[in-house]
Amino acid sequence: MNELIPLMVIIPMMAALLISAFSRFDKVIKIFAFVVAICLPIIPLASNYGFHFFGGYQPIVDNVTNIVYHPAITYSFSFLQQIFIAVIGILTFLVIFIYLTKYKKVSGPYLFLLFMGTASVTALILTDDIFHMFVFFEILALAQVGIVAASSIDYSYEMALKYMILGSIGSPIMLLGIGFLLAMTGTVNITDIVAIIRGGLLDITSPVFLLSLGLIFFGWLYASGLPPFHTIKSGIYSKAEPHGAALLQSFTVISMISIVIIMFRIYSVLPIFEVLIVLFSVIAMILGVSLALTQTDFRRMIGFLAVGELGFIGLGIGLGTQFAITAGLFQALNEIVITALLFIGFGAIVNATNEVDTRKLGGLLAYHPKVGIMLLIGGLAMAGVPPLSGFQSKLMLVQASLSCGYPELSILTIMVSIATFVVFVKTFYSMFLRPKPHDLEVVDKDVPRAMVFAMVILLLIIIAFGLFPDIVTNGISSYVGGMLQ
Amino acid sequence: MKLYDQIFYVVKKFKELFSPGPVTNADVSGSITAEIFLIVSLVIASLLLRHVSILLAGLVTFILAIVLISNIPLIPKFKIEQEDSLEKMLFYAIIVLALVVVFLYWGGTLV
Amino acid sequence: MAETQLAVLFTSIALVVIGLYAAIFVDNIIKKIIGISFIEEGANLFIVGIGYKAGGIVPILMPDMDPTWFASNASYPLPYGLVLTSIVIGASTLAVMLALVMVLYRKYGTLSTSVMLADTSKQEEYDE
Repeated sequence: MNELIPLMVIIPMMAALLISAFSRFDKVIKIFAFVVAICLPIIPLASNYGFHFFGGYQPIVDNVTNIVYHPAITYSFSFLQQIFIAVIGILTFLVIFIYLTKYKKVSGPYLFLLFMGTASVTALILTDDIFHMFVFFEILALAQVGIVAASSIDYSYEMALKYMILGSIGSPIMLLGIGFLLAMTGTVNITDIVAIIRGGLLDITSPVFLLSLGLIFFGWLYASGLPPFHTIKSGIYSKAEPHGAALLQSFTVISMISIVIIMFRIYSVLPIFEVLIVLFSVIAMILGVSLALTQTDFRRMIGFLAVGELGFIGLGIGLGTQFAITAGLFQALNEIVITALLFIGFGAIVNATNEVDTRKLGGLLAYHPKVGIMLLIGGLAMAGVPPLSGFQSKLMLVQASLSCGYPELSILTIMVSIATFVVFVKTFYSMFLRPKPHDLEVVDKDVPRAMVFAMVILLLIIIAFGLFPDIVTNGISSYVGGMLQ
Repeated sequence: MKLYDQIFYVVKKFKELFSPGPVTNADVSGSITAEIFLIVSLVIASLLLRHVSILLAGLVTFILAIVLISNIPLIPKFKIEQEDSLEKMLFYAIIVLALVVVFLYWGGTLV
Repeated sequence: MAETQLAVLFTSIALVVIGLYAAIFVDNIIKKIIGISFIEEGANLFIVGIGYKAGGIVPILMPDMDPTWFASNASYPLPYGLVLTSIVIGASTLAVMLALVMVLYRKYGTLSTSVMLADTSKQEEYDE
């Protein structure tokens, strides 16, 4: 059923509009949001692979030059898109479930932002049109700002405005890069651009082409929160509600990989492209983890860890072989799940203690053993301990960088994993294991059931991916093989 | 004894880093880990230059190691440069934009 | 006229550079936002400039036109369509930014960026 492909974007978007329009009817909105959220992971799993041409404009073959043109905005849907959209659908469902059970009276605009963000990342990963990508990238930035500003944490407006101002530098620069590409090729369809470049119709050593890479690359840095945007990215995670932060980081990861795949298809003919990506990924890994080690606010700490983990994804893409890109994309999938688990779990702690400073916490294992154990497993998965999913993808990355002839990168990868482990052990110790400080009051003794439910689901996914990585990696690998041809 | 004094000074400096508020031993040991991690990872990353030129890689690694070790503690300096104020974020963002653009426009075909 | 297109490109580059200057050196947040929106305008102007064709006609195919003559004389319509979308997005971004500034102005009573958007991590960690 190829008709389901555009519906993956249309359904959350329509739901968002309807919910914000009828936000007065509380009960109806709750049921409606819940039903739509359940549908989100089911649609990609039920849909067939294929293309969707908006407006029904089929590709045209030029009889003289034998080149195929795509006049319509095209969505292409294959295994990679399916697995990522399904995971983001599950995560959106869990987050909306947590939100609906947490508050008696739900806010229509907030649900609007959550659904709109999901719709835009879905469009980002489906699209084969570089301007369409830019449009949804901007909508995504607005939704992210809204999610941050809607939280009741101190200084969230400041952080939202900072993110917005940086974004209004990053995205026009990216638009300028897209403009350069459009000026050189006359089209915005990525398949057409790639055909023009492969066909030798464009001088790839021209400074304009290189400049367009630089400009789009800068926009990608903003979208993915690699340095110099790592401080703001970790900042917005720490200023959003925990379930919102779980969704925000998945938006970041998806926008990162969808833009980098587009850039890879266009620019992989240039050797400097891979150098750039590896350089920024290495810097992100080093800065993210070393700053995470010195944080005392645990939300900020996970924020920096999440940024550091993004470096692993970039490393896999930057190495550029089929195995390495598969490893990078698999790591992206794992990171979405693991970081979401950590954000939700630590959110449960904030809920119970109203305290975010690790120096004032302690002895929580006696109060929340279930959350503690699940967080421990999540942290081990992030650090790459077998048999969890993080181990599989990091092992693949180490093997990939060894087989590409960069043993330094393998050493660096292992070191960053160890440092991640140190961060996690340190935080776990000071929050759960050491004696409880006298002035710490555990306000709410019960962790919300919805949070525990969400953590269990995410944990099951982590263990499943860790034990049977083949169910994902085979499909991703064949997609990457098709992309590299 | 000079290096010993310097390491002692590092711990004192970390106490300032976490003020106001108490300093726990977990935080200080975390910071020392970060310090060592930063030095070692930067040195290892600079080894990647050997794909450009082996002599350059040797020189850069050696100089970087000396500069980093003689400048401990690095983490307080690093943290000040990466705080949350908009001015610093914008400054670094635009510096990076300028570097990327200049480097690609004039040197993009060198690699 | 090729000079028209060149003038458009130079203007757009000037707008982008002014915007980047304002982002670093201007302290008043409203002025900074105006400056930053120049970058967006510069990018839009650049894309409009791509579609320019010296002596071209409006890209609407009338029934009495010869399609081959039309194809070689009409200006390129795709950039205009793109810019229209981009302007709408830019306007909504600007609106959200200014709304946030309004909220923050009520809180701080100043429009200075160095006060309003300074580093807040120290205050919030140990402020009770």
